[in-house]
Amino acid sequence: MSASEPPKEPVKYVEKQVHLPYCYVAGDYKARYLAALKDKTILGSKCSRTGKVFVPPIVASPESFAPCDELVPVADRGIVTTFCIVNIPVIGRAIELPYVAASVALDGADISIYALVQECAPEAVRMGMRVEAVWKPDGERQGSHEDIVHFRPTGEPDAPLASFMHRL
Amino acid sequence: MASLRNVAVVGFAQAPIVARDAHRIATEMLYGQVRAALDQCGVERDAIDFQAAGSADYLDGRPFGFVAALDVMGSWPAKPDLHLEMDASFAAYYAWLRIQAGDSDTALVCGYGKTSEGEPDRVLNLQLDPYYQAAIGLDPTSTAALQASAWMARSGATDRQLAALAARRRAAGARNADAQLREPTTADELAKTPWAVEPLRQGYLPPVGESAVCLILAAEGKAEKMCDRPAWIRGVDQRIELQTLGGRDLSRSAGAKLATERALAMAGLARAADVDVVELCATTPAEELILCEAMGLDAAGSRPAINPSGGPLVGNPVMMAGLIRLGEAFRQLAGRADGHGVAGARRAIAHGAQGHCLQQNVVWVLGDERRWT
Repeated sequence: MSASEPPKEPVKYVEKQVHLPYCYVAGDYKARYLAALKDKTILGSKCSRTGKVFVPPIVASPESFAPCDELVPVADRGIVTTFCIVNIPVIGRAIELPYVAASVALDGADISIYALVQECAPEAVRMGMRVEAVWKPDGERQGSHEDIVHFRPTGEPDAPLASFMHRL
Repeated sequence: MASLRNVAVVGFAQAPIVARDAHRIATEMLYGQVRAALDQCGVERDAIDFQAAGSADYLDGRPFGFVAALDVMGSWPAKPDLHLEMDASFAAYYAWLRIQAGDSDTALVCGYGKTSEGEPDRVLNLQLDPYYQAAIGLDPTSTAALQASAWMARSGATDRQLAALAARRRAAGARNADAQLREPTTADELAKTPWAVEPLRQGYLPPVGESAVCLILAAEGKAEKMCDRPAWIRGVDQRIELQTLGGRDLSRSAGAKLATERALAMAGLARAADVDVVELCATTPAEELILCEAMGLDAAGSRPAINPSGGPLVGNPVMMAGLIRLGEAFRQLAGRADGHGVAGARRAIAHGAQGHCLQQNVVWVLGDERRWT
């Protein structure tokens, strides 16, 4: 084929694979949060201006813009503030369908964390339901989010909506 | 030229450049700088009308990483916000434009990123076109070496001259508390270091560095209240050139030349040499010489002082090295450059660049007096 002739078969695409490795640090606050999970402790950081507690801990309050340099433990139990029932498999997550993904406001925290709710039928989960963390056994916790296997109902009376409306 | 609003740099805070911050994530590095810059100006975040940032999510390896940064730039109540996947000096340019548009008087400009967590050579390869340039594995060092070769062939510059320039910047870096390379060294020592990519030696190039930077802009009327010695922006211009390296003369920077001419004209200055300090965003000695030629500067002269901070050759945090040049110009004019201050500095040029071989250039001309009355 000479350079002056166009190719008989058009080039339709160029295939390119991109491989980008990364090695992350957890961060000053998150490293302490993760390490505390080994001891079945959940840490938040407290806003120096408003006193609000953020979980996982962050360096500053996005709301007040004041530093949150005091780390405080919060409870490993709290309230389902909102939830959804997952019926479609998610890549990389091997949990039996359907399951409940919930937003849980831990006692002592002003924002909620995302959590799995198990040990009850999905249709039994409701806003205001009290739940507690189920931890991996001693010696198996590694300082990762997976140290909490899931949350389960405590059987306590539901919390009234007004008590968690500001923590949805 | 129609009268523009007088806008000044009124605050600047920078985390010292390090090879790797082994503990903090980018937001933790940035928050202290935003706080410090606001404190310099004696204001809280509610005094800021507009915010802009420059960073690269691919360098950080965090999709939508710039959203996390909003938490430490202040995200409530929400402000008009802009994120550029470019050096933050270009974000400052957009913030300046926004203030010119009239609906904002003040702006926060941030640059951040943890380059050490990924492999920047692989990431920055993706800035090139995927068919002909990225595919052959070019990275910023190899494209810079192509450019250095082109410059040396045309100008007759020697390896020795590159070594001498790099040694001068190392000497300057030793006086800059925020520089990454703070050990002075000699041209002889640098000329003995192995090739990174010939004709560039390892000793001529900055290592990977990371930092976090916050700069505050304010319009006349507010600037004087936020800073005792504002650095007034008298002219600014940005130009973008072809991505295809073979499509332009790599031994020259046509974009920097044009941006300098336009920025000087806006500033009412005849020549770049009429300023006292120039901060160039050059990541190799050859790039610095190309920029000096484009701007009409004597690279070996003592006035204007070129890169008294040491410049990117002593610390090159990607995506913010350009904004640091603007911050350094402010420090010089505001008398805040401490150990590397240039006595009597009243006018300055700050240059920012982005992309391979100076593909994109922004040039700021600053002075200690307002431009328009």
